Amino acid sequence: MAAVFMIISQTALADAAPYQSYTYDYRENVVLTPAPYLPEAIINGASLGVTPLNQPRDIAVSGDGRLYIADSGNNRIVVTDAGMSRAETIITGFDNNGFADKLSAPTGVALSDDGELYIADSKNRRIVALGADGRTLVKVFENPEHEALPADFVFTPLRVAVDYAGRVYVIAQNMFQGIMVFEPDGAFTGFFGTINVTVTLWQRFWRAIASKEERANARLFVPTEFTGLDVDPYGFVYASNMDPQGVKAARRLNPKGEDVAIAGVSGNLGGDIGVEVEGPYAGVSRIVDVAYQGRGIYSLLDSQRGRIFTYDREGDLLYIFGGLGGQAGTFRSPTAIEYMDGGDGSRLLALDYARGDITVFQPTEYGALINEAVGLRFDGDETLAVSKWREALRLNENLELANVGIGKAYLASGDNRNAMRYLKLGMSRQYYSVAFRRYRNEILKANLGGILTAAVSLAVIMVIVRAVLRRRGGQRVEPEAGLMDDG
Amino acid sequence: MDKVRAMFRAVTRPIDGFYEIRYRGKGSVALAVLAAVLFSACYTANRIFASFVVNDVDPRSVNGLLEMSGIFVMLALFAAGNWSVTCLLDGEGRLRDIVTATGYALLPMAAATILAMFVSQFIASGEEVFYTLILAVGVAWTAMLLLAGIMTAHNYTLLKTLVTLALTVLAMFALVFFALLLANMARQVYVFFYSIYIELIFRV
Repeated sequence: MAAVFMIISQTALADAAPYQSYTYDYRENVVLTPAPYLPEAIINGASLGVTPLNQPRDIAVSGDGRLYIADSGNNRIVVTDAGMSRAETIITGFDNNGFADKLSAPTGVALSDDGELYIADSKNRRIVALGADGRTLVKVFENPEHEALPADFVFTPLRVAVDYAGRVYVIAQNMFQGIMVFEPDGAFTGFFGTINVTVTLWQRFWRAIASKEERANARLFVPTEFTGLDVDPYGFVYASNMDPQGVKAARRLNPKGEDVAIAGVSGNLGGDIGVEVEGPYAGVSRIVDVAYQGRGIYSLLDSQRGRIFTYDREGDLLYIFGGLGGQAGTFRSPTAIEYMDGGDGSRLLALDYARGDITVFQPTEYGALINEAVGLRFDGDETLAVSKWREALRLNENLELANVGIGKAYLASGDNRNAMRYLKLGMSRQYYSVAFRRYRNEILKANLGGILTAAVSLAVIMVIVRAVLRRRGGQRVEPEAGLMDDG
Repeated sequence: MDKVRAMFRAVTRPIDGFYEIRYRGKGSVALAVLAAVLFSACYTANRIFASFVVNDVDPRSVNGLLEMSGIFVMLALFAAGNWSVTCLLDGEGRLRDIVTATGYALLPMAAATILAMFVSQFIASGEEVFYTLILAVGVAWTAMLLLAGIMTAHNYTLLKTLVTLALTVLAMFALVFFALLLANMARQVYVFFYSIYIELIFRV
């Protein structure tokens, strides 16, 4: 498989990206960048040696490089070998205490740390946990009972995730109260990360003056549903949702279900900024999935324009790439993304639901440099990050992040003048100000004697001049001085 | 030179200063225009050169000439608006008095923007209040000068000046409206004659 990857990447796919890569600068202008990722290979039914995938909904990647595809339309889970070149196992059912049970429209897959496979078996209204061999049943999560659930509630799981402790997080259809959480023993314990509805003053005003009929016909103010899930090694849940305002499409939920995601300087975690109102490219980004890359970096998948947005832990937008189209590397209706840590660096896998294939993206030099530099900063090694930022800056002079990274390193090493220069280029007002304050103190300290001497001698000279003038009889030398004397 | 001295006197001691300008002919429209040019230049300089800590303006988006013409349009509108209102409310000021008072009144703001620009070079975040304070003092001084200047020029009481200034704002809106209307109608007249012309060439 590695050989195949290499051959393909060196010929057609890597020549030129079939999409534009860009980012937004401090002033929210689009800044084109080198491609951070390039398509490397396409995985579909034919390449895996099985019947074509039919409306696949989700993917998961194991630590050893096996790909799990929730092939929803074929009621099966396709499991590949470690190189993702051939299908190794096809799971259509399992042994449910002696009874041969089947999967029905599985829409979500997730893997626990010890290799157990969690399947959102949507039409059977349950979550199935299978052992690492993919056959033995470990647990079934079904019929959630809770006082907050209506009596006629039908549990239709769409996406599933599991953390290191075996807690299971489920996005269910028509469930606006949040992500459903199941304990490892199978008990439903409640909701998680509820999105609160915000009603603007303007909406309140219109509602107040609307008639009863109009109010009945109006759209309900319901919270947006979650669309995708991922869990980082620390047990924080990354969740994506569609935000009608296009501002807040990603959440990082702590174990209590509180959102601790940080938005960067732009305050935006919602994909594209300043989208058009009309036209073929109109509308805010529709974020349908989130994937955690590692070291605080995560990506969002936009099905509206087929783009992938990557943010770091501080909410800074790192890069944007991808698009809709027919070429390899573009999408028709992307629905899920997943990161895989291969031997030679990270790979990003994106599942296309309509086409039934998976595109494997490989980081370019540029993308890898940014990932590495941000990762080093995450690890607290800012000095090592600087060399990466410098290389990234060589590939893209307009990279504000790199300038800020270098500036911060100068700040830490005490070179305030260079820190000011880079932080200004990176438009980081906060850190620039810190550098400036230190620089100012430096200058003051070095020249305090001179400044004080100058001030004192100036004062003395002024006193003498004034005394001499007054002795001469208060002649009007300047109109201003004269005016003062008038009063 | 005498007029320049009168200008500075008006800025520092507005009531006496504007009285001399109005009734002893010590005002100068040229100086007022120069003051407005100076203000516009200082304003643009502040937008470009004020320190990064206080300045969020993209320097690439600053066009000095455009800003100057904008300021001049506003000043012309104000002068015309004020003149039309005070004509009806028995103001004694001539148009040149209004222009002079308005132009001279801009001097403290010009000084404040430049001073603030220099001060901004020495402040870090958390100290922006010095910058804003200087600007605020400039604006307040200019407002006071404008009030005194207009009051003296028309020989009004303070209350009447305030009322006419409020009416001036309305008059400015009306002027803009009429200007747009006129432009639109002129275009229609032009189109009318142009179509006659087209008709003629096709027939003759």
